[in-house]
Amino acid sequence: MLNNYQSSGYPLWSNGPTPGGFYNFTGGQQTHKLPSELVTEGPYGTKRNTSSITTGSSVLGIRFDEGVMIAADTLVSYGSLARYQDIHRVFKINNNIILGGSGDFADIQSIKRNIDQKMIEDQYYDDQITMKPKELSSWLTRVLYGRRSRMNPLYIDVVVGGVDKQGVPFLGNVDLRGRAYEDYVVATGFARHLALPLVRERKPADRDFTAQEASDLIRKCMEVLYYRDTRNMSKYTVGVCTTSNCLVEGPYNVNENWTFAANIKGY
Amino acid sequence: MFRNQYDSDVTVWSPQGRLHQVEYAMEAVKLGTATVGLKNKSHAVLVALCKPLSELSASQRKIIPIDDHLGISIAGITADARVLSKWLRSECLNYKHSYESIYPISRLITNLGNKMQTTTQRYDRRPFGVGLLVAGYDENGPHIYQVVPSANYINCKAMSIGSRSQSARTYLERHLSSFNDCTTDEIICHGINAIRGSLSNDELITKTENLSQLNITIAIVGENYNKFTILTDEETNKYLEMANNSNSLDDQRKPTEVVGTSGSDDDPKPGPSDSDPQVAVGTME
Amino acid sequence: MSTIGTGYDLSASQFSPDGRVFQIDYASKAVEKWGTVIGLRGKNGVVLAVEKIITSSLHEPDAGGRIFTIERNIGMAVAGLMADANYIADIARQEAANFRQQFEKPIPLKHLCDRVSGYIHAYTLYSAVRPFGISVLLASWDETDGPQLYKIEPSGSSFGYYACASGKAKQQAKTEMEKFKFAEMDTETLVKRAGEIIYRVHDELKDKNFRFEMGLVAQETQGTHCINHELYTLSARNAGESAKDDDDGSDNEGPQ
Repeated sequence: MLNNYQSSGYPLWSNGPTPGGFYNFTGGQQTHKLPSELVTEGPYGTKRNTSSITTGSSVLGIRFDEGVMIAADTLVSYGSLARYQDIHRVFKINNNIILGGSGDFADIQSIKRNIDQKMIEDQYYDDQITMKPKELSSWLTRVLYGRRSRMNPLYIDVVVGGVDKQGVPFLGNVDLRGRAYEDYVVATGFARHLALPLVRERKPADRDFTAQEASDLIRKCMEVLYYRDTRNMSKYTVGVCTTSNCLVEGPYNVNENWTFAANIKGY
Repeated sequence: MFRNQYDSDVTVWSPQGRLHQVEYAMEAVKLGTATVGLKNKSHAVLVALCKPLSELSASQRKIIPIDDHLGISIAGITADARVLSKWLRSECLNYKHSYESIYPISRLITNLGNKMQTTTQRYDRRPFGVGLLVAGYDENGPHIYQVVPSANYINCKAMSIGSRSQSARTYLERHLSSFNDCTTDEIICHGINAIRGSLSNDELITKTENLSQLNITIAIVGENYNKFTILTDEETNKYLEMANNSNSLDDQRKPTEVVGTSGSDDDPKPGPSDSDPQVAVGTME
Repeated sequence: MSTIGTGYDLSASQFSPDGRVFQIDYASKAVEKWGTVIGLRGKNGVVLAVEKIITSSLHEPDAGGRIFTIERNIGMAVAGLMADANYIADIARQEAANFRQQFEKPIPLKHLCDRVSGYIHAYTLYSAVRPFGISVLLASWDETDGPQLYKIEPSGSSFGYYACASGKAKQQAKTEMEKFKFAEMDTETLVKRAGEIIYRVHDELKDKNFRFEMGLVAQETQGTHCINHELYTLSARNAGESAKDDDDGSDNEGPQ
């Protein structure tokens, strides 16, 4: 692992020159200083932002017999404004992990950058070892819990899915407090209320979903979400990860049909 | 004893492009008792020779467990090994905490090497005077790594370090091709037979007769959740017996036949000036 | 010449009366004790090739690799002390990661080369440390900049090259290289030439066994740095073997 991102290396001796940096002979007294935003106090202590700004809505993940599927629409809202309408929120991380992110999109992008760096690290060790979905999920838990403990959380709610080396599928959810769980279906945002019951209803008691069932359920759920959640739109992408392939498909469109609208009365 | 001009500390290159302080640190490894590491396709094994420091003391600990999936065997300055093992343990623990999985051996050793490298480049440090054999098991299978004071690390099929280890290495080289398909019992026996080569002649005579006097420690790690374990005395004795009886190992050294091991370049030789480097004084052209 | 043994060669922070820093020269001496490393820059890619001397049959084939991946599209090959090589690889990776974090794109090779050579140079200024005993070859290929190749010396100075060599048989390798125009060469041929050069300069009398190792970053690899790419490495090894055989053959015919 890379030990040190802050500068290009440790000083040659304490208070000494840092290789690759400029050495100021008179300024030797530098000690570790916390970033100013962490030590600047307001009249009533420090206040941090407590809400997200640009947001992605629900993410839905379903585990099936030989892999996982994660879907999210392509909208990133600015408050109630449908600000960015063609943004992918399901990412391929490596050949066995996909990740769907909801919540503050800047925070998602930020954590995605860190994850991508880890994938490059995997590559340069050149040992055919890659990160597994379970490991990524665990790492996210530690990062997010650490942030919330410092009262500076990342406002995200992510779904991690993939397959491990033995081909066993993994699907889990990590939220902004570092809470995490695994299940055959996980959802964030409104999908927790709207999609989760739909999927659970159709789960055969004695076996996993098949890929076809999962795919059909995803289409159905994205449609319901589009109709019922105002922060959703009709276009969505689906990440599919099995042992044999891992990719983000789409964008697809839900089957819009507004003929029933004429019959709705009383609003 | 002549003092070499260029061996004062680790920041001085000799005109031949050598680092004498690092080379001296490598000598420290040869002062420790021998240890052997080897592997078949599913398990990695460490065998170490322990000698009590005095009649009254218990024999020193040669094998240090690091995590469930790896451990090290040491030769050289034990105190330095404790520093390294403490670091290795905390790295493994941190990794486990972050990822809930085991630290890949090759990556751990790469980072250990980089930690050790700094001690070979600064005047206020000295290199670690200890050699390690690392035995571990991860998703790529069993591994044996050799780590030396110059901060080099080498991925090995089998290896032996410590005093008089050359004869052990010769044994390993001779049987190298068979290791991969050995059973676990066989690979442990190979380890015992290899380390027997590093015994001096009189030791060999007394200790082959009385097995329990051959004071060795054996550790194993491998597939099917076989965590890194140091074998108990009963198990060790069982394997000592087994190694002694294994007739497949016909070329095993018999004490009576021994006529001094040739080619053991690291045998402690008499004379204090032997290991000193060539005096580096002269002109360049 | 007042040189060795006069006391002016014991510290990196001291000049000799004739204006040299001997510790740097000595560090360069160290580089020449290890196997040859070459880099060739072709039309659509760069190949790094290494003569890895095998010192014991107990080592695994991949032990002590001298080629590293620094970024997705950047490779590095090192001649000299292995421990220093691993350490500098780590530094280079940190630099690359740092750049990527700030700019969200891979570090340009020239920039990386500047940073790493600055780092190596810092170790030639103080008596408290010793210069690195390594020579570093950096290679990359991308759509905008095409193939690039740089070499950094233990002194911290660096230059761009069409082809360069370091290590034991640096001189012979250079002589071999001067026979070709690498800038026009396609990757297929480039790889073969790399194989030929390394096998030719290998001295069987001094070191018996060696392993040919290769790093390749080219258009053909989609700008990804591959260590020991299966097909290309095989092709290079074959070209090397047959070049070696040809040489041996002509040597035999020589006296007749």
